[in-house]
Amino acid sequence: MSLRKDSRLGRPFRRLLIANRGEIALRIIRACHDLGCEAVAVFSDADAASPHVRAADLAMRIGPAPAAQSYLRVDAIIDAARQSAAEAIHPGYGFLSEQPALADACAAADIVFVGPAPATLAGLGDKLAARRTAAAAGVPTVPGLFEPLALSGPGWEDQLARTAEGIGYPLLVKAAGGGGGRGMRRVDDPATLAAAAASASREAAAAFADAQVYLERYVERARHVEVQLLGDDHGTVAALGERDCSIQRRHQKLIEEAPAPGLDGHQRRRLHGLGLAVARAVGLTNAATAEFLLDPAGEFWFLEVNARLQVEHGVTELVSGIDLVHEQLWIAAGWPLSDTVLAAAAAAAEPGAHAIELRISAEDPGRSFAPSPGTITRWREPSGPDVRVDAGVEEGTLVGADYDPLLAKLMVVGTDRAAALQRMRQVLASLEIGGVQTTAPFHHWLLDQAAFADASGLATDFVDREWRPAPLVQAAALRAAAAAAAHAAEASARVSAGALAAGGATTPSVADESASRDGASASPAAAGGWWQAGLDELLAERL
Amino acid sequence: MTSRASRRWRVTLTGATDMAVEVDPQAVTPAEKSGPLVTNLRRADGSCRRRFEVVVDGWRFEASVEPSHQATLRDKAARAARERHHSTTSVLRAHIPGRVARVWVEVGQQVEQGDRLLAIEAMKMENELRAPHAGRVERVAVAVGALVERDTELLTLG
Repeated sequence: MSLRKDSRLGRPFRRLLIANRGEIALRIIRACHDLGCEAVAVFSDADAASPHVRAADLAMRIGPAPAAQSYLRVDAIIDAARQSAAEAIHPGYGFLSEQPALADACAAADIVFVGPAPATLAGLGDKLAARRTAAAAGVPTVPGLFEPLALSGPGWEDQLARTAEGIGYPLLVKAAGGGGGRGMRRVDDPATLAAAAASASREAAAAFADAQVYLERYVERARHVEVQLLGDDHGTVAALGERDCSIQRRHQKLIEEAPAPGLDGHQRRRLHGLGLAVARAVGLTNAATAEFLLDPAGEFWFLEVNARLQVEHGVTELVSGIDLVHEQLWIAAGWPLSDTVLAAAAAAAEPGAHAIELRISAEDPGRSFAPSPGTITRWREPSGPDVRVDAGVEEGTLVGADYDPLLAKLMVVGTDRAAALQRMRQVLASLEIGGVQTTAPFHHWLLDQAAFADASGLATDFVDREWRPAPLVQAAALRAAAAAAAHAAEASARVSAGALAAGGATTPSVADESASRDGASASPAAAGGWWQAGLDELLAERL
Repeated sequence: MTSRASRRWRVTLTGATDMAVEVDPQAVTPAEKSGPLVTNLRRADGSCRRRFEVVVDGWRFEASVEPSHQATLRDKAARAARERHHSTTSVLRAHIPGRVARVWVEVGQQVEQGDRLLAIEAMKMENELRAPHAGRVERVAVAVGALVERDTELLTLG
């Protein structure tokens, strides 16, 4: 049988199970329905009423709330796929997406795993093995170790100190099985090295069941850039352009964009070529992302490969016009990369649009991005031309501590970066979330920073160096207090008027949980000093 | 009461920051009133304080609002009560739900301000809790592995 390119009749699968939750489960369900596939959701007890469960054609319970008893259980996922007669499983990102165990179990159960082959996952999931592979393929790797650290045994601390000295400070302790910034610590001097390595190892053991850590040079003022890769079962690999994900906290991305600003065609081709070299070296099939550092001198250094769909895949879709989840499904069904994909890859060094994504997470940017669980009491998504919102929550959703705090991804596309930024400012201003603190204030601030707007500040340490939330919180608090007092006074006046009208017999109650807003922004400085007077009085009282 | 409209209000904020401020609502412009996203919240039982959620540039606050003269009376009462039970004992409670990942101290141990006490793992991150002041650990109410809700008592520092 010959598979002709771009003559995809029918559908890749009749029924596909999504082994994930939240926004990515919804995004994959949408792709299934686009292609005429039925989508099977899985859910833990915490997610029984979640949007992804309702959006699917069928939903299977896989266990209690903790991920280890539900979304991380290979046997429960395979059982759900068998019972629902799903032909394929898409793992999304996180959870089991890069675990060879799920891919192996799929193979054993004659279910198609939408992702790279188990051997590729095993090779790439071990960051040290990936570093060795990249180095062997002639791709420059960040200076550091190719073998794990020994964190026990006689004299391990001295040995560790000597190894670190050989690489040079500052450096990073990284988990061999890690990802998403977990099990990672920056170390600036020898005094904190042993504790950081031990703590990273503990975190890695808890998060990935793999306590192995290694050391890598911390490249200062580096940017994080990554190449979107697709590979089919017929030996063809393609690079669909790059993304810049330099704005991070705790090594977790806050904002991503495509293409990476400031690269010329020559640099783009070099970067895409390095990504393709890694993809070929590991025999990549399906979708993956090769991550690199871009140092201030313009050199690229290989970091790792994420052998799955990335959280930030949407910005590449908006620029390339390729639906990456559709392509994943066609590839998994055995089809070769289409001419459309190959044409997009050929044009990737000269992109004609710019896309930006903001991650809205339940985290408090005023308190070092600490998790801020709670119930979402208000949720209004922005919309409009060239705006895409991938959200996994709605009003009433309880954002618990069991899962990743990502609530939604706001994406925009424009003809160039300036147009995209301007559109994003409007999009962010129209986002309304109540009930939980989110990362939105950070994004409001970031979009106003000159060093971000002109891309000169893009670096992985930008947030650590520049984010000083205290004055912003203080100014916002004064504006919040003014608005609250005005609302209280108005409500009180309404009650008095009502009481008078009713002869004092009854007091009409103000409708609860109602909201008001007219979109105008307020500045306390223009108010004629209501707040200054208030502060003066407070200060006088303390004296 | 002669003029309800002209009196000042005490706004106590929690959330993105904790602070109290006195505001004359008459001086708040319509744009300042309607710019932030304001949602009425239910009052605590028996309380005459109005409560709102207010979101400004994404910063989320819960505001409790009452007439200033009333707030002043309550402050006086609270101060008097504090003076009656003079002590520096503090009960530390969980600021987030999660699992107790580490306990670095034991009962009887003397700690300095800023010392690590215990860590709560939530969303796969370890969140360290540090001593708000120097003191002696009088009680450790949780053990490693315990699941805690927000505001669960963790530790008493004397």
